[in-house]
Amino acid sequence: MALHQLHDVIRRCQAIPDDGFKAEDYDQFQMAGRSCLEEGKTAEVLDIVTDEKNKEIVKSMGWNLLGPLVKIVLKKEAESLQHCLTTLKHVLEVCSPKELLVGLLEQIEDADVDNIAETIILLLQPLQTALLKLGKKKASSLGMSLSTVLNQISQLPVPYTKEQEEEDVYGLCQCCAALIEFVKPFVDEVDRGRESKAIVAENEQRIELLKFCMKSLGNPVLQSQLDKIPDSAEDPPLRHFAAEILVILSCIGESFPALLLHHLVKKKAEPGFLEEDVKYPMESLACLSYLLFVQHIGIERFPTVFSPVFILQFNMQYIEVLLKSSEESMLSKGLELYEKSLQRTEDNSLPMQLLEVKCFLSVPQDLVTVMTLCPIQHLRTEALAVFQLYIDKFDTEGKHKLFGCLLKISQHAGVQGYIITNIKNQIDFSLKPGNSNVWFSGPQLLPLLHLVLSLPEGPETDLLQNFDRIMGSLNLLRYLLIRDKEWDNHTGIWTELYKIEENFLKLLHTGLKMSKAHYEAEIKKTKENNRKRGPKESKAVCTLTVGGEKLSNVTPEMHLQVLQSAMFTFDLIESVLARIEEIIEVKVKP
Amino acid sequence: MAAELTREWSDEQLKSDDLAKKDIIKFLQDHGADSFLAEHKLMGNIKNVSKTAKKEQLIAAYNNLFESKRFKGTDPLEKVTEQVKAVKIEEKESKPEEVVDEGPPKYTKYVLKKGDKENFPKKGEAVGCWYVGTLEDGTVFDSNVTTSAKKKKQSRPFSFKVGLGRVIRGWDEAVLTMSKGEKARLEIQSEWAYGRKGLPDAKIPPNANLIFEVELVSID
Repeated sequence: MALHQLHDVIRRCQAIPDDGFKAEDYDQFQMAGRSCLEEGKTAEVLDIVTDEKNKEIVKSMGWNLLGPLVKIVLKKEAESLQHCLTTLKHVLEVCSPKELLVGLLEQIEDADVDNIAETIILLLQPLQTALLKLGKKKASSLGMSLSTVLNQISQLPVPYTKEQEEEDVYGLCQCCAALIEFVKPFVDEVDRGRESKAIVAENEQRIELLKFCMKSLGNPVLQSQLDKIPDSAEDPPLRHFAAEILVILSCIGESFPALLLHHLVKKKAEPGFLEEDVKYPMESLACLSYLLFVQHIGIERFPTVFSPVFILQFNMQYIEVLLKSSEESMLSKGLELYEKSLQRTEDNSLPMQLLEVKCFLSVPQDLVTVMTLCPIQHLRTEALAVFQLYIDKFDTEGKHKLFGCLLKISQHAGVQGYIITNIKNQIDFSLKPGNSNVWFSGPQLLPLLHLVLSLPEGPETDLLQNFDRIMGSLNLLRYLLIRDKEWDNHTGIWTELYKIEENFLKLLHTGLKMSKAHYEAEIKKTKENNRKRGPKESKAVCTLTVGGEKLSNVTPEMHLQVLQSAMFTFDLIESVLARIEEIIEVKVKP
Repeated sequence: MAAELTREWSDEQLKSDDLAKKDIIKFLQDHGADSFLAEHKLMGNIKNVSKTAKKEQLIAAYNNLFESKRFKGTDPLEKVTEQVKAVKIEEKESKPEEVVDEGPPKYTKYVLKKGDKENFPKKGEAVGCWYVGTLEDGTVFDSNVTTSAKKKKQSRPFSFKVGLGRVIRGWDEAVLTMSKGEKARLEIQSEWAYGRKGLPDAKIPPNANLIFEVELVSID
């Protein structure tokens, strides 16, 4: 049936001069052709298409058969496969590149998720051929092609382990390798072009390739695991892909320092600034920085003249972008980049003035967010390590300012407690002979001390929630009273003591009294209720669901335990408080 | 300044419970000379003074003030004390530009080719350089000079803003002394290069002295 229709159309069209084909002719050819192929009449279609007499018809209409041809090729049915491949090849040779381009990109764009990899691998070569035939006017078509292919590739899941990468179940690695082969001739064209002309910045093809590289860095490189395989000379596929992208960037004339410093230079929004964002997206540049400074890919093309502090400075903005993400692949890259940038600098060397740059205070806050809220445990641990490293790199004035800022900004009691311990260590260090500095002893220390030795919400402070901070403060106070002799008073604690007693210790006493009274009453009430209710009726008042999981009900015994552990906590605070007051008694009263 | 202050409160009023300690303290702090206040332990936050001072003491001080007439402005040292108080502890405002004399520069420059001796880069200006960096043993660890003819047309001078701490100190200081067209050999001691850490990524060991051949080809 369909075959007859096809013959009909062909016969009719053979009679029409070249440009005379009408829309109905195209439609009929496409429908008939498709039906024939679907019915398995692939041999016949091949004959028709390769027939010399039908050359003009095929040239104009052949590309409409791309869809059904590709579908059959992907299905890989033995009988039809060879015919279709040959038909396909012929169509690709004969048809006009412009139309082929449209047809091919359509096929790539419409591919099902399951077929994306195969479709891309099948069609990249023909796509390349078609583009090359377009000659000098290919830039925008090239851009569109690259963009379409990358969009599809970004739908493929990125392997997480080296084994997954090797198996490449979804074909991502194969696609990436094919993509590099695909762009080679276009890169070479730009590379050769650079030799002859000085000004290449406006070269459209160069810009499309730049956009392609940037887009690839943003996805899939940024999501990939890029570590080398130990004891192996060969790079795993995605690492290799990343390295190739950097090579392309160099070939088209991009300099890595210029790229990384780009945002430092261009501060104001210029006309067409959206275009700039596409050409130099922050996430892609962050990925570039990661590749250079953590994986050392391409580092030989980065000048070894920059000062380590400057490198830290321009990397902070990229670290910020990565740390603000919630994806593990980006977070872990951000942490590594932060760590590596800090490691290049000497301990105790960063000046306080750096903290006047916005990122230098906002990035540690992002770090704190990871430390406290990230669900992935090893990232929390890493973040804490980087946090301490960051603190260690500042000189004493810097540390002083950093501690003050972080204490004021941070709401998390654990973090505050951690900073207070750092302060104690710095004071301890400064009290040792030869280490004295004006920031952790003497009048400069006092504002920091008062910040630490206080209750954030006065006597109403929740002692349980703020336990870490309060214990940190009390331990610091106890340390100071023992370590800094009254007659030395290096830290000024003895002259400030009366203020601290007023503003801190007294309030703490009040708070403890109130809390203990409250909890004692609660315990009494609970015991009463338990007695009244009896052992059989331990029905829960309500249920609690956290993260989709229903927690087991709180039994009366558990409830009591919680209340009692609160009481123990208060006792603990009280005992340290008592010890402190003992010390004061002994030392102040002669 | 009032030359002669009059007593506002009589002895009875002072002893009465209606008159709060804080009020007396405020009056004394407002009108008493600093040395007077210091002697009577009336300096500092009113609340705190109120806690430590008994009413009898305050009454005595009040009376004493009028007897001795040690009001504000009568202290010979008052002016100086005022200034000292006003100074506060603002040391942290010291300019970062403070130059501490660190001794002689930690690099040496040997001019290989003279520059025009007129155009010297200023701090903050962008300069372009060709350079070759070697370790003391001769290993080349970095260069932007290419010898291959093909690549030569493609490579560009290294561009950076001088004098802003963006490059190692040896470079920052040395380039400022070079004029356009000058080519020099810089021997930079490790403290003004990569110091104790070195740069393991770039094959620079710890405490390495670096040698650069630098040609300054453009200024801004």
